[in-house]
Amino acid sequence: MTTLDADLRRAAAADPAKEALVAGARRMSFAELDAAASALGARLHALGVGRGERVAVLAPNGAEAAVAIYGTLRAGAAFVPLNPTIKADKLAYVLRDCDAAAVVVDARLAPLAEAARADAPRRPVLVSPDDTRTGRLRAGSAPLSVDLAAIVYTSGSTGRPKGVTLTHANMAFAAGAIVEYLEMDAEDRILCVVPLSFDYGLYQLLMCVRVGATLVLERGFAFPGRVLELLREERVSGLPAVPTIFQVLTAALGERAPDLPHLRFLTNTAAALAPPTIDALRAAFPRARLYSMYGLTECKRVSWLAPEQLDARPESVGIPIPGTEAWVADEHGEPLPAGEVGELLVRGAHVMQGYWNDPDATAQRLRPGRWPWERVLATGDLFRADEEGYLYFVGRRDDIIKSRGEKVAPREVEAVLHAAEGVRMAAVLGVPDPLLGEAIVAYVVPQEGAALTPAALRRHCAAHLEDYMVPARVELREALPTTPNGKVDRRALAREAGETPAAR
Amino acid sequence: MGETEQVGTELRAELRAYVEEAFLYLHPDVELGDGDGFLELGIVDSLGFVELVEEIQGRYGIAVEALEITEENFGSIDALVAFVQRRR
Repeated sequence: MTTLDADLRRAAAADPAKEALVAGARRMSFAELDAAASALGARLHALGVGRGERVAVLAPNGAEAAVAIYGTLRAGAAFVPLNPTIKADKLAYVLRDCDAAAVVVDARLAPLAEAARADAPRRPVLVSPDDTRTGRLRAGSAPLSVDLAAIVYTSGSTGRPKGVTLTHANMAFAAGAIVEYLEMDAEDRILCVVPLSFDYGLYQLLMCVRVGATLVLERGFAFPGRVLELLREERVSGLPAVPTIFQVLTAALGERAPDLPHLRFLTNTAAALAPPTIDALRAAFPRARLYSMYGLTECKRVSWLAPEQLDARPESVGIPIPGTEAWVADEHGEPLPAGEVGELLVRGAHVMQGYWNDPDATAQRLRPGRWPWERVLATGDLFRADEEGYLYFVGRRDDIIKSRGEKVAPREVEAVLHAAEGVRMAAVLGVPDPLLGEAIVAYVVPQEGAALTPAALRRHCAAHLEDYMVPARVELREALPTTPNGKVDRRALAREAGETPAAR
Repeated sequence: MGETEQVGTELRAELRAYVEEAFLYLHPDVELGDGDGFLELGIVDSLGFVELVEEIQGRYGIAVEALEITEENFGSIDALVAFVQRRR
C-alpha cells in the first residue's frame, strides 16, 4: 500500500517499541505515535471531519505537529502544514482558500487560529493535537493512494500563496526515492531543525516513518551549541540543512568540532553551498557524506548529487532522483544538447496534481506529457546539463527571492508595504547576501509629508508576514526608477542595489 | 546596593536596551520579562541569535565557543546577564 497512513501502520506493527520521535523532553515510540494518530483521527471523525476534507496544521516542530499530521491522514483527510509564524490575515486567507474543515493547533497558537477562523466562512473547528478523548475511527475511512494527502502553500509570483496539491502516491513515491539514494534504514536517526511546515522538514518526518527510523525534532536552528549537543547525545546519523544553517554552524565551530562518530550524512538544498562552506563541513565532519540536491515543492525533489561526485562537479545538483526524468528543454519541451540553457522539465510520480483552485497557475506549470493522462512539470528554473547528464542551476525565470532557503514572492511583501500608511511606492528585491543567499530589501517612496522610518516599516511587515518574509533592510527613497510605461524598473533598481555596499 | 549588584543592574539595563533596539521593536505587542525566552516568544530567530552572539563578543570582548551558544547562555535577558558576568 502506498499511503503515508499505511507507512505509519507498518512501522508500528514492525517494531512497536522503536523510538519514532524525540522532541525536547518528549519521546514517542511508533506504537505511541500510531495510537495518538488514531485518537486524533477519531476525534476529527467525531467532529464530522473525514475523507476528502482539509485540515490545517499549526504547531512548531514537536510531537504535536507530527501527531497532527498523521492524525489528519488517519481520518482520511489532507493536512495543510502552516508556518507557526504566520499572521492572522494570511492564515484566514489560507483557511478560506483550502476551505479547511478544522485547524489542529497547539495551545500557544490557538488565539491566532481563533482570530483567523472568524474570517473563514466555514468557521473551521479548532482541535488540540493532545485531545485524546476516546472515540472510534469510522470504518472505511483510510485514505487511498490517489487521495489528496496534503496542500503545501508556497509563495506565488502573483503575490498570493499557491496551494501545491499532493496525493499519497506523490508523497510516498518522493519519500521512497529520497530514502533510496540516502540509503536510509531503521537504524537512522535524523535531526530536523527546519520547520515541518517547509517541505524539506516535512519529508524528514515522512521518510523516517517510512523506514521506521527515529526523527529528532528541534524547534529551529537558533543555538548551534544545542544542535551540536543533540548531534552527539542523540547519536544523530543524518542532518538536513540549508546553506545559511551550514554556514552558521561551521562559523560557530571554528577549528573545534566535536567528534561525531554516528553522523553519516549531511544534505543540502534550496541553494548551492559556497566552496569554503563545503571545505569547512568536510573538515568539521570528516565521516559525513555531503549530498547536494535541488527541488521545488511542486514535486518535492528533482535531483541529487552523489557525494563522491562533489569534487568533480562541485556546482552540479546532480541527476534526477530514482524513478524520474528531468531534462533541459527548448520552448517546445524537447531536450536541448549538453551545455545549452533552457527550462528544466520533470516527469515522474512525484509531480503534483496542480495548484488548489487555480487552473491558470496550474496550466503554466503542468504541461501535456507523453501519455494522455500524464502531465510534465515545468520548473520555471533555467538549467544546463553537462555531457554526462549532470544538471547545473543557472537562474530563475521569475523574480522570486530565495532567502534562507525559502521562497518569497516580492509582490507578497510589496502588497503588505503598500497597505502601510504613508507609502506611495514600494519595490522589493532579493540582493545577494553571503549568509542569507538573498536578502529581502525593500525600497519605499513615502507620500509627501509622511513620516516613515525603516524601523516602523519593518515592524509593519513583521505584523503581517511570516518571519522569513520580513525585509532584512528597508531603504527610503525619493523616487524609484520606472520603465516607460510607469512600472518600477526592477532591473535598474537591482543595478543600483548592486552598487550600494551591502550594509547589514 | 553593593558594587557587584550595581554593575549587574547596569549590565542588565544595557543588555535590555540592546535587545529592545535590535529585536523587540519588531514586536510591539510583546512584553518581555527578564526571564522570558527569546525563542519561545518568537522575538529572536536563528539569524537573530547570530547577531546577538556577535554583539556580545564584540561589546564585552568575550570569545564565545560554538558549544556555548545555548538557550542557557543566550536564551533570555537573565541568561545573557549571567553569561556576560561569568565570562567577561
